[in-house]
Amino acid sequence: MDQTQTFGVRATEGAAVIDITGELNASSDPALSDAYAQASELSGLILLNFAGLEYMNSSGIGLLVTLLIRANRQKKRLAICGLSDHYRHIFQITKLDDAMKIYETEADALGSDR
Amino acid sequence: MSAKSVIEPLDIAPNDPLLAYLVSSPGAVDIQQLELDSPAVRSMKAAGIKLAVPLVSQGELIGMLNLGQRMSEQEYSSDDRALLNNLAAQATPALRVAQLVRQQQAEAKERQRIEQELQVARLIQHTLLPKNLPQVEGWHVAAHYQPARAVGGDFYDFIEMEDGRLGLVVGDVTDKGVPAALVMATTRSVLRAAAESMARPGEVLRQANNKLCPDIPENMFVTCLFALLDPVEGRLVYANAGHDAPYQRSEAGVVELRARGMPLGLMPDMEYEELETQLAPGDAILFYSDGLVEAHNSNREMFSFPRLRELLARHVMSTPDELVDFLLDNLARFTGREWDQEDDITLVTLQRVHNVARHTAFATSMLEEVEPPPSDETQAAYGEETPGTDASGKASSTDAPMSAVRPADDGAIWDRITKFEIASRPGNERVAIERVREALRSVDLPARTCERLETAVGEATMNAMEHGNKYQSDVTVVICVELSPRAIRIGVTDQGEPIPLETEEPDLELKLAGMQSPRGWGMFLIKNMVDDMQVVDDAVGHTLQLTVHRERSH
Repeated sequence: MDQTQTFGVRATEGAAVIDITGELNASSDPALSDAYAQASELSGLILLNFAGLEYMNSSGIGLLVTLLIRANRQKKRLAICGLSDHYRHIFQITKLDDAMKIYETEADALGSDR
Repeated sequence: MSAKSVIEPLDIAPNDPLLAYLVSSPGAVDIQQLELDSPAVRSMKAAGIKLAVPLVSQGELIGMLNLGQRMSEQEYSSDDRALLNNLAAQATPALRVAQLVRQQQAEAKERQRIEQELQVARLIQHTLLPKNLPQVEGWHVAAHYQPARAVGGDFYDFIEMEDGRLGLVVGDVTDKGVPAALVMATTRSVLRAAAESMARPGEVLRQANNKLCPDIPENMFVTCLFALLDPVEGRLVYANAGHDAPYQRSEAGVVELRARGMPLGLMPDMEYEELETQLAPGDAILFYSDGLVEAHNSNREMFSFPRLRELLARHVMSTPDELVDFLLDNLARFTGREWDQEDDITLVTLQRVHNVARHTAFATSMLEEVEPPPSDETQAAYGEETPGTDASGKASSTDAPMSAVRPADDGAIWDRITKFEIASRPGNERVAIERVREALRSVDLPARTCERLETAVGEATMNAMEHGNKYQSDVTVVICVELSPRAIRIGVTDQGEPIPLETEEPDLELKLAGMQSPRGWGMFLIKNMVDDMQVVDDAVGHTLQLTVHRERSH
């Protein structure tokens, strides 16, 4: 649907933040890969902020798993914040919450994880 | 060292003493010197074989190397023998692996054959089970059929007689798979023919038995209950050919409707006891198959007749569809999530309603419920949606009643709140989600339940567009949302072939270790978002039916 999707990348103190906005689905692959590449230049801790997420489907979960594999290989840490209750539930049942640290908000993540 | 290249096939009987001798022999054996009363040794001697080197793997003889005369005509030296024994030690594991591979290939082929056979059995069964439930004024009829993986021989049928009476059949063929499905098909026709020519259940079974006896395979038979309902008088006349006795639930309690009779197809000229019972408004009758009462839980306890009877007594008077749901809920609770269903389960319920006026309220037409698209933006995504603009020839699937999608639970109490089609184009699952969200807005549901249903519908629609309809944009996915007092049910139908619903359970650890694809979360998500997921393959297509219980979501 959205062929020119991009995710913003911000450098903060201690982490690079990727703002996941709109949809995370099969077509988000290039946007997510680009954002990750930029972010991994900036910091060893990459925080995916899902506050702007509208919709994520099973393909989106697949992309996150791929990203996790890449991050593990490159010794980068991934963390998550800003999930709605619904997607938090999905992170629980898929056990993604065991593989990545989940924070309520970006402030929580940056405050405690340094 | 070289041997003459004479290759002649050698047959060795499994009881030939040579085999035992070779297993225990430490290395190459001089065949010409061997004195054994063995036909194999005799033919090897005759073929000029000098040396046999046994290939033994884990105490089992898996082959041998046979050598003829050396080209130099000299005897084999001890060096030759050492070399041969060495060769055998290396060849044995390689040969063993090759044999295992071949064996596995044969087994895979066999599994595929069995799967195809099951597919045929499923198709026969789906084709012959009723597509619609009978509409009888003053009565609710509901049915549920849930095939086991191996497809048992359950069947049920409704026969609407010219005089307004309704014939009900519930039966079970011994055996499984295609043989059972074929006998089921025959029994169904024989019963229909008999029922049309006479009106006495005992007589119908007697004649059906006589027709089946000469044709039915020797080790098979059919248990079957035949009942005839006079809907005006509320009288049910029934006869039973060895099937589980139905239960009647009335204000006074639960009684079993027993009638004597042998299963069909065992012996000709049997007599079938014919009895009758009277149903007062509010009374219900449950017909069922042994798959229900014989279901086991993980502790190997059986669901059992007493439990069924107790549940019936406990269930508050309501419509039969709810009774079916109530029993299925209890069965699911009993068996637990990991249940491997051993046998088909069939439930048919019949209830005389208190208030006739009620069920007409639900007779809504689908066409008036096609809503305008929520916005101009999504207009393009709808494809051939309104019947008026349909050029794809798929209009029939839109008009088909839900009962054709699922013969099982259809009945007056499911109130359809929307039904629509979307074209199979990437991204259109968002349209489906949007439509379902709109439809559920009028229903009092917790936000959490709505979100889960939306995720499930999105995944089911993606699967339907991709795997079922192969993203052909002129083939649509039909989505139907229905409501009962207890549950929400959403059917997502594509035009794909019946496929067995078995996907590997995704495991994040395996995925992170690179041992499973990172993808493959779709079915897992659906299963975890809803209370029940069923697959129905029939004339309308391949349907994934998602159910969420309303009372549990609060």
